[in-house]
Amino acid sequence: MRVPDWLTRSPEEQIEYDVDVLFGAWPAHPEDPDLRTVRRHLGRSGIQHALAISTRGALFDAAAGNAETLQAAGSGVGGPEFIPVGTVDLRDAVGVGERLDELVDQGVRCLRLFTLQQGVQGATPAYEHVVGEAVARGMVLLQDGDPRTFGPVLAGRGADVVFLDLHVYLLTDFLLIARDEPGFRATTRMLSSPDGIERVVETVGAEHLVFGSRTPFMDVSPQTLRLRYARIDPGDRALIAGGNVKALLGKVG
Amino acid sequence: MRIIDVHGHWGPWPYHLEVGDVSLNVELMDRYGIDLQLVSAAEAVVYDAVAGNAALAEVLTSQPRLYGYAVINPNRLERSADDLRDCLSTGRFLGAKIHTSYPEVSISSPLMAEAFDLLDEVGVPLLLHTWGTDVAKLPGMLQDRPRLRVIVGHAGGDAWREAARAAVECDRLYLEHCRTVTDAGRIPFARAAGVPIGQFLFGTDSTLIDPCVSLGVIRDAGFTPEELEQVLSKNAEELFGL
Repeated sequence: MRVPDWLTRSPEEQIEYDVDVLFGAWPAHPEDPDLRTVRRHLGRSGIQHALAISTRGALFDAAAGNAETLQAAGSGVGGPEFIPVGTVDLRDAVGVGERLDELVDQGVRCLRLFTLQQGVQGATPAYEHVVGEAVARGMVLLQDGDPRTFGPVLAGRGADVVFLDLHVYLLTDFLLIARDEPGFRATTRMLSSPDGIERVVETVGAEHLVFGSRTPFMDVSPQTLRLRYARIDPGDRALIAGGNVKALLGKVG
Repeated sequence: MRIIDVHGHWGPWPYHLEVGDVSLNVELMDRYGIDLQLVSAAEAVVYDAVAGNAALAEVLTSQPRLYGYAVINPNRLERSADDLRDCLSTGRFLGAKIHTSYPEVSISSPLMAEAFDLLDEVGVPLLLHTWGTDVAKLPGMLQDRPRLRVIVGHAGGDAWREAARAAVECDRLYLEHCRTVTDAGRIPFARAAGVPIGQFLFGTDSTLIDPCVSLGVIRDAGFTPEELEQVLSKNAEELFGL
């Protein structure tokens, strides 16, 4: 029986940095994936470093979630390295600067926003305040939701932003924004068309793409296979699979 | 291992993509080892069912690895019924396709019931675009239509749990999981719910979506080699007589 190539994971599917990893309870999901399960899943999927965050901070208690995230990042024994990602609750943004200072003091470089879960549909005063404070501290924003909504709000600030939910149907909007924003990046997760990744690379450059799997809530193989078979050169693939995030985190050299 | 893709498309889409040439269908099939693909015309899905089906019929004459679905618009059922019979008479169309959102006809609409009556009479498989909890109505709709077999396209989309439960209730519902948003665990959930292996089919949404996305879902589903063969080809061979 002929065994197709795609059935076996190849070196072109190795991921150095994954920016979209969560662990903890998620009421709408059939299961609550714990830390051990997530680590094992990442290891099986060939992911070496994960920008990870506890779901507690997204759904219930930002401070307790940040504490869980920092504890998880410090507790890794073998397996993929966890790089802690902080969050603040957009429904509780007064005095957020002090909380961001604490995160930065604890070595947190990235701030993930959960507008979908927290009911923020655009540039609310709280949202604008949080992103202003985060950008002033040089934090990288991991931005969920529609880039057409949040992109224009984040533009013109010199911000480093990773859009986590860019759907291929919205590609034209991202390309138009990213032309003028060197700090805007998107994950490849939903660039599912045969030419989605290729179009970004050709139009604005591979520097605008990173890998973000949304483990454990999404299958990983569809995303690593898409990167493996993308018609781009190996240097661009390496940037997307980790080089860009490595540079963003100041881990180059 | 033979691979049959039961959910493909041919033609351009109104997005920032360049995926309309049939040579891309074949290139992607070659890349991933897909032997046969059943396609509907994007134009027929999005805009004009009869015109799109006619354009696809032309393309199929020179593409032996592609077979067609005739798209039915339930808002124009009489015209679509004649068109379906014409398409099937060519021998290159093997089934019908109905989208729910472009014609704005939901699964529970009386118009959909009339379309189901037509397909029960004609007796060819239907690929139905499903997206939402109304997928749960399908077992009831098939109860009095004994010849109708429905491929549950996208396996309900975000309502994949409801789609799985529907397939447990009715053995003429076939789950096909292509989708850009690849929620983890959809196939294991369906299997744990009791969907028999004979009711899973492989589909891609190519060329709108690169086939590797669905192949990745299959790879992550944990099938045994025998189950894999059944899902990738044997179930489709049986359903379509290929």
